[in-house]
Amino acid sequence: MTEVTLSNVVKKYGAHQAVHGIDLDIADGEFVVLVGPSGCGKSTTLRMIAGLEDITGGEVSIGGRVVNDLPPRERNISMVFQNYALYPHMTVRENLGFSLHIAKQEPAQIKTAVDQAAGILGLDELMDRKPAELSGGQRQRVAMGRAIVRSPDVFLFDEPLSNLDAKLRTQMRAEIKKLHQKIGNTIIYVTHDQVEAMTLADRIVLMRDGHIVQVGTPLELFNTPVDTFVATFIGSPPMNLVDGTVRGGNIQLTDGQSLPVPVGARGLVREGQDVQFGFRADNLMPLGHAVDEVGEIHQVDLTITLTEPLGTETILFTTFGGIEVQAKMFNPRPVRPGEQMTFRLVLDKCHVFDAASGTAIRS
Amino acid sequence: MDRNRTHRNRKRILAALHFTALFLTMAIICIPGLWIVLNSFRPTVEIMAKPPVWNPSFTLDHYRAMFGGAGEGGVPVFSYFRNSLIISVVSTAIAILIGMSGGYAFARYKFKGKSGYFVGLMLFRAVPGVALSLPLFIVFAKVGLIDTHLGLILVYVAMNVPFTIWLTDGFFRQIPKELHEAAEIDGCTRWQAFWKVEFPVAKSGVASAAIFAFLTSWNEFALASQLTRSVGSKTMPVGLLDFTAEFTINWGGMCALAVLMIIPALILTFLVQKHLIAGLTFGGVKG
Amino acid sequence: MPRRRLPEWFLLLLPAIIVIAAVVLIPLIFSLYSSFTPYKLTRPSTLWKWIGTYNYEKILTDAKFWAAFGRTVLFLTIALNVEMLLGLGIALLVNKVTWGQRTLRTVLMFPMMFSPILVGFQFKFIFNDNIGLVNNVLQSMGFNVALPWLVDGKLAMFSIAFAEIWMSTSVFAILILAGLFAMPRDPLEAAKVDGCTPWQSFRHISLPFLMPFIYIAMTIRSLDVARAYDIVQIMTGGGPARRTELLWTLMSRTGYVDARMGLANAMGYVSILLSIFFTVYFFRKLSAARAEIGMGG
Repeated sequence: MTEVTLSNVVKKYGAHQAVHGIDLDIADGEFVVLVGPSGCGKSTTLRMIAGLEDITGGEVSIGGRVVNDLPPRERNISMVFQNYALYPHMTVRENLGFSLHIAKQEPAQIKTAVDQAAGILGLDELMDRKPAELSGGQRQRVAMGRAIVRSPDVFLFDEPLSNLDAKLRTQMRAEIKKLHQKIGNTIIYVTHDQVEAMTLADRIVLMRDGHIVQVGTPLELFNTPVDTFVATFIGSPPMNLVDGTVRGGNIQLTDGQSLPVPVGARGLVREGQDVQFGFRADNLMPLGHAVDEVGEIHQVDLTITLTEPLGTETILFTTFGGIEVQAKMFNPRPVRPGEQMTFRLVLDKCHVFDAASGTAIRS
Repeated sequence: MDRNRTHRNRKRILAALHFTALFLTMAIICIPGLWIVLNSFRPTVEIMAKPPVWNPSFTLDHYRAMFGGAGEGGVPVFSYFRNSLIISVVSTAIAILIGMSGGYAFARYKFKGKSGYFVGLMLFRAVPGVALSLPLFIVFAKVGLIDTHLGLILVYVAMNVPFTIWLTDGFFRQIPKELHEAAEIDGCTRWQAFWKVEFPVAKSGVASAAIFAFLTSWNEFALASQLTRSVGSKTMPVGLLDFTAEFTINWGGMCALAVLMIIPALILTFLVQKHLIAGLTFGGVKG
Repeated sequence: MPRRRLPEWFLLLLPAIIVIAAVVLIPLIFSLYSSFTPYKLTRPSTLWKWIGTYNYEKILTDAKFWAAFGRTVLFLTIALNVEMLLGLGIALLVNKVTWGQRTLRTVLMFPMMFSPILVGFQFKFIFNDNIGLVNNVLQSMGFNVALPWLVDGKLAMFSIAFAEIWMSTSVFAILILAGLFAMPRDPLEAAKVDGCTPWQSFRHISLPFLMPFIYIAMTIRSLDVARAYDIVQIMTGGGPARRTELLWTLMSRTGYVDARMGLANAMGYVSILLSIFFTVYFFRKLSAARAEIGMGG
């Protein structure tokens, strides 16, 4: 059983504190993604789990064993690096077999393990090449192969896809997910890309400034963000946030229009409280394009300022509550800037955040 | 049309000028060396001839005399060659080990006063050989290292370490630190990670640092001329002086020894020139 | 809990520090001490007589020393600048070549592997007034002269500078050439389209980019300025009549020929300070130039 537990883990670089007492339990076989903007401490956390950074305080345990002072080689982990870190002087075969070679395994045994990993990742044709002769995607695959070969307890991925172009990234994303389904090991994956986090994770750990902001399944983070940071970080386009004040049971926006408080927040807001009203583009649709008509609807006329046709849908830019917001049109037709349209806002799916603290107001 | 033509003519003139300048430069670089080689094959009479003889004849006399041993004013070239070789090779090997370890420290570790240490080490390299030779002469005389291989080896190690650090620092810094981390995760100790991954990757760079160190020792004169006395420890640069007498110089013999000195240097430099340039510039430019 | 011990970086640097301390630092401390004594090799007891700054006062009031000092500084300044300019020129020439560039670069490295003493001998031979190549060529071309290259003071200085420049220009050429190879194409092309003349784009785009490379070469050179000693020692030995005396030859004569070690060590210290001055100066310039084109850190 290889669950990974972090309790109150702290990392300081001199006076600067990079990670502020993180607590996290990762179950055996779980795919956990640490995500957040750059400098949020996600990579540092991963590197502390790997043993590449000293742990300033707290405890990291892998499979029930505290590993704080163990060197990386004794933690039985493997890691895929952002720049792959393939050994340039070795062939693919030697790269894959290096860890077993270091562990002084029998050549025959090494060959079996290497061939098996190569089979899983489709590297058979490349075995005698050097890393310099491989394309980006192939290098990525070799790096993953090298991680598989040692059959570690935990896989660590440090932004493994960020050096690939968009198309390859999508493809490798799927391969990583398939790989996880095939071998079922615990995976801890670091990325700054929320799409990768959403698509890959069993559970997402969203970090900011060395703190964990929210932990949950992708849908939990998407549907019930704990604060405005999560709301704008997860999902594309980011959630629209409009300033408002609670007046007589309604939320009055800065442009004067008034909206009913969404069901989830009803009774939890006080009169006169400054709030931010949040809704996703998916929930603001032109009349007649609604996919889902159930629940409470707020109807409003808006003028289009810009359109971004994406094929299956078109993003519409318009002004609402005094700021630019994005809406979605699910059955696209050509729209001209300046055109006025009637929009429907699905209030049940809207969020209210306290303006001062940014935390969600929700029962 | 006219403007086009003037531009075209100007281009042609520039191309001609370019070629001439390049040719002259290369001639100035090559001729002195070639002159030495040529004269090592000319009989002394011809070298000394007045008016000059431009039609060179060919003789191996100087080489024969040089390798003929120490008799009759001959110079014990074999001994000098052996001394040079032993001293250069041993001092290079030690300097590389020590310098590599220092270069690795600069490339991979963060510590306070790093650039201070670096410049400090470099400054020791800047101490002029002559200035150092005076006190070294006295100290070595006291501890009995004058006129020994060991003495000169020590001196050359100290002389070569700073620059080896400069070069290897540059080469190690070119290797992403993730390689080392990957090796550690793959089960290596730090020591193993260095020898199995980083060293093989930096090998060509280290080789060029080694050749640089070798050449410095091979060519050094100021210190060697004071710290060696006898046939048992004199190196070739010092041996060159054997061809000069009070008022005469055996030019032909000198040229032959010069050729002998230059050949190993030539071969070694060509082997690593590419890495050498990379190492020098990388270490310096990326700070 | 791990035991408290020396940091790893220090352990790695330790061998280097030890060997340099033993072979360079200790003798230097000794020489610093002896520069305050009237130490003569022939009379060891003189080592224990403290005479304070007498040696320094003596050299500082010695016209011969100042002449050598001034000549050394002048020589280095001229040599380094000429080497830099020639190196730049050669690098630009070679950079423009479309074929055989590798061969040319290899040829450029040729003088770098010559021992300085060999360079000295080589040019002593070539500039020999009787059988040297230069005079032979001049005479064969019909000039009935035998220029006293190494005998006349001014000509001797020129010959020495020529040898020094011949030996060291390639360091500059090679490194500047490496800089030219590493230079991004886009800014130059942008400048061309924006209407810069070749001179303007060289002055405002290429040169700032090349400066760090020039300073690397300068730094590397300044680490080793004193090897000019070998050349001078062989070509003229400081003569004729001290017309080519540099700090280093003066020092070596005082120490080894006159056996006045204390005095020589005092001069040695002046020469060390001079070398350190050059090195630190260029190191600084290097960092500044690096910062300017955003390559620092």
